[in-house]
Amino acid sequence: MAKSRLYRFLSRIIDIRPGEEIIASFLFLYFFFIMFPYYIIKPFRDAKYLYVVGSRELPYAYLSTAIVVGIVVALYSRLQARISRHVLIISSLVLFTLTCLLSWKLFQNTELTWMPLAFWIWANVLIVVLGTQFWILVNDVFNPREAKRLIGFFGGGGLLGGIFGALLTGLIGKKHPDSLLLIASGLILFSIFIVNLIFIWQRKKNPSNDKVLDKNKEGGSKPKKVGFIDSFNTIRKNRYLALLAVVVILTFIVATFIDYQSKTVIDIEVKRMDDYTRIFGYFHAGLLVLPFLISIFMTGTIIKRFGMRLTLMLFPLILLFCSGGIFFAPVFALAIIIKTFDKSLSFSLNQFVRELLYIPISPELKYKAKVFIDMFLNRFAKGLGALMLMIFIVLPQFKGVETPDALIESEAMDEPSVTVKADVLAKPDALKKPEGLQRQDESEVPDQRKIRVMIVSGFSLFFILIWVFFNLKVSKEYARTVKKKLEIKWDRADRMVAEKVDVDYTKLVFDTIESRNRSSILYAMHIFDLIKRDKLTPEVKKLISYKSDEVKASSLGGLFESGEIGLLPETDDIISEDVLEKEIGEIMSLDVYQEVMKSYVENALRDESMESEIAKMEVAKAIGLMESESPLALKLGDLLWDESPEVSKYALESAAKLRKKEYVPALIQKLLNPITREDASGALVKYGDGVVGALSDYLSDRDEDIELRKGTASVLARIGTQDAGDCLMWELEEGKGEIDTELIDALDRIRSEKPGVQFREDIVETKILREIKKYCQTFIKHFGAKSKRKKAERTKGLPEDLNVSLMNVFKLLGFIYLREDIMRAYQNIKVATKDSVDYAIELLDNTLKKEMREIVIPLMEDMALEERVKRCRSCLKNFSRPNRKNA
Amino acid sequence: MEINAREKEDIVIFDIEGEIRRSDVSDITLHQLVKDQLDSGKRNILLNFQNVEFIDSFGVGEILASYISTNNLGGKLKIAKISKKLYLVFQVTMLTKVLEIFDDEEVALDSFNKE
Repeated sequence: MAKSRLYRFLSRIIDIRPGEEIIASFLFLYFFFIMFPYYIIKPFRDAKYLYVVGSRELPYAYLSTAIVVGIVVALYSRLQARISRHVLIISSLVLFTLTCLLSWKLFQNTELTWMPLAFWIWANVLIVVLGTQFWILVNDVFNPREAKRLIGFFGGGGLLGGIFGALLTGLIGKKHPDSLLLIASGLILFSIFIVNLIFIWQRKKNPSNDKVLDKNKEGGSKPKKVGFIDSFNTIRKNRYLALLAVVVILTFIVATFIDYQSKTVIDIEVKRMDDYTRIFGYFHAGLLVLPFLISIFMTGTIIKRFGMRLTLMLFPLILLFCSGGIFFAPVFALAIIIKTFDKSLSFSLNQFVRELLYIPISPELKYKAKVFIDMFLNRFAKGLGALMLMIFIVLPQFKGVETPDALIESEAMDEPSVTVKADVLAKPDALKKPEGLQRQDESEVPDQRKIRVMIVSGFSLFFILIWVFFNLKVSKEYARTVKKKLEIKWDRADRMVAEKVDVDYTKLVFDTIESRNRSSILYAMHIFDLIKRDKLTPEVKKLISYKSDEVKASSLGGLFESGEIGLLPETDDIISEDVLEKEIGEIMSLDVYQEVMKSYVENALRDESMESEIAKMEVAKAIGLMESESPLALKLGDLLWDESPEVSKYALESAAKLRKKEYVPALIQKLLNPITREDASGALVKYGDGVVGALSDYLSDRDEDIELRKGTASVLARIGTQDAGDCLMWELEEGKGEIDTELIDALDRIRSEKPGVQFREDIVETKILREIKKYCQTFIKHFGAKSKRKKAERTKGLPEDLNVSLMNVFKLLGFIYLREDIMRAYQNIKVATKDSVDYAIELLDNTLKKEMREIVIPLMEDMALEERVKRCRSCLKNFSRPNRKNA
Repeated sequence: MEINAREKEDIVIFDIEGEIRRSDVSDITLHQLVKDQLDSGKRNILLNFQNVEFIDSFGVGEILASYISTNNLGGKLKIAKISKKLYLVFQVTMLTKVLEIFDDEEVALDSFNKE
């Protein structure tokens, strides 16, 4: 893909992939053109209300806003289910443009005393609706991996818009305050153009996404009933959404408390109105610039470096630390520090991480929940926080309910406050008030206010701790939600076959059918085996009684309806299976039987003619019915070495029954031959742990045939005990790597079937690093060269040795992490669609430890071959550093 | 027993002729042939049993081992045109619970593409 100039420019600032530059820029502009007018409207709103209505009436504004926003949420939820996303956003923008113009017109009439309250509510509805629409669009366009990289960038667009809005208000607000609304409406109108570009781009890029972006536009199904209660119930019934809602409530309650703490401390220190103005003037300007810089340059890096869990913890932990400081020492410097962290991180890192939490949720749930949480719940939480402050602090302290100044601004927690401009906008001469103007609570003794701050700090600490707890819960639930997005495509088939098929019985049925025309003795012995296993069902009886040509001729349906029994001896009518087994055992244990049969067996063994094969097979099978100590059992050793695979098969079967130590070397040698391998393997597995030592000796013997060593690894996997696992792990550590793939596969089988078996983490980690190193070397070997021939080869996909290496890395990871999670990630990386890879990596990001994450994830991400070659080279460079001794 | 491999739309088809018995194996087993295809990156295998008269327990082991090797790599192994008798034995022994068996080769090939 050719890299555009825009890409080259943006890639210097942010971690962006080719093809993402246009949509990321559009979203940057979209957020910019929402926040730019909002930061003009917001100070205008505050100014009009505070100076026309007064701060004492602010609770009415909060309450009215909460009620109206509740109604808007209900209406919006219904509209969202019926109208396409595109139409809904454009309509909202048109509506806000027109109402902004209407407000400008109405403010010309100074007699309309209700206008400041109406405008206050309108401004809140505007930011709630437009902000939520923006983040929903981000959710539509990006998956978690993309959003993590880019959220800081387009989030920064909003903050830059805020800076421009605040600056513009400062520049022209003093002389032409009313013209600000005209500018704001023009800016909102311009954002319609950007939104259209986004939808056009999205349709062009991925037409199938129309279904998501233009939800319900063409679907024939009737829209489901949605509304305020429905959204509430959706959140209540979903654990993850409920946790998210609790986190949002706690975030805003704590923000209210922090705001109160910092402002009260500043209040104590600052006596003069113009000092206050000066301090907050610089402070607010800084508060807009700082989150912008954090968004653009740090958010992506922080999330990538620390992962979702730690990033979620970062903000509350900093607030916990600062709030604790204010609790013990409520000083000016600490107040400024906590306020700086609060505003700068809450508008950058914290808000963006919160937005990321929505991305893995299914669209149907997400849109309902997001509208409810972002539009209603955060306003509700702010109100709740303010109410708590009044109940716990204000009411017990004072006779009259006086709204503290600090609360005036506490409603605006989600954006950097620029209320200082309110003085300028509403009354341009506000700054000309006499120096040292007395404020409402200035008569209060500073010590009393300090005590209030300490009490609030105590509450802050308490709520922050709860917030940290719920952040932990939500981050765990986030990993589970990401996991749900990834299907398990396949599981180890050996386990599935073992669960669904009785392989020994199946083979016995086939052997019985096969032996019928060969030897009546073998046939009878197979029937006896079936009786012993209680498997001689009427269906099996009929099946093994028919001649092959009869079965071919008959229909499947009619076969079992036939009354013909054929050649099957009617044993069950004569004798019970217990008696039969007992009688056969007694006969075979008789000395005279052993004596008589000895000469027969020796003759059969001596006979090398083709005809003796049947006799040998019968003898081999019969020995399996004897006691292991019987003299004839010793003859099985000779039969095991017989050249005929048929004789070997019966000898191996009997060896598995008698389990004599003497047979083990022969059984292991039989692993070499592909024809006897499966039977030998089955026989050795029957020995269980008792044969692990012998197998281990062969496994670690470098002079032994490699196929035999691979066979022993497979047998140890089937035995599957801790001892077997330890042997395999030991060989993995000590071996030269020539049978690593087989060893890893064997260990993976044990891990899959016996999750209780433990593997040594240090060995596994070392092996993972070595395997990754091998992967990088192989990758560079295949794709590093720039020749045309090599380039042509690239179109063929990953070579098999790279596939094997990648699979080994994941199998190894499955030994020390939850195997199911790792396999889920691996299989979805193999599916190789953009979303499947991104979600798989997101799962790994939330599963692997930091050190492992930093090595594995960069190699798995979706990227161009050239970039992957670069990363492989960089990875190898890291391995060559002295602290990477293991690799 | 004779096994010939051909390829159709990235699906490897093994045409098997004769009986899959341990006594009939010449130089290479069915499982080894399947593994070779897996090693070369193929993941979809179809065993054409049109000319298979019968199999013994070794044959069952070979089919199951091939099935396991293929599935463990995320591939699919299916069987087509099996005789009625074999199908009956597969049913009684519940092998049909694991193996996907088709009457017709084209239907079997389509089933790979649908997944």
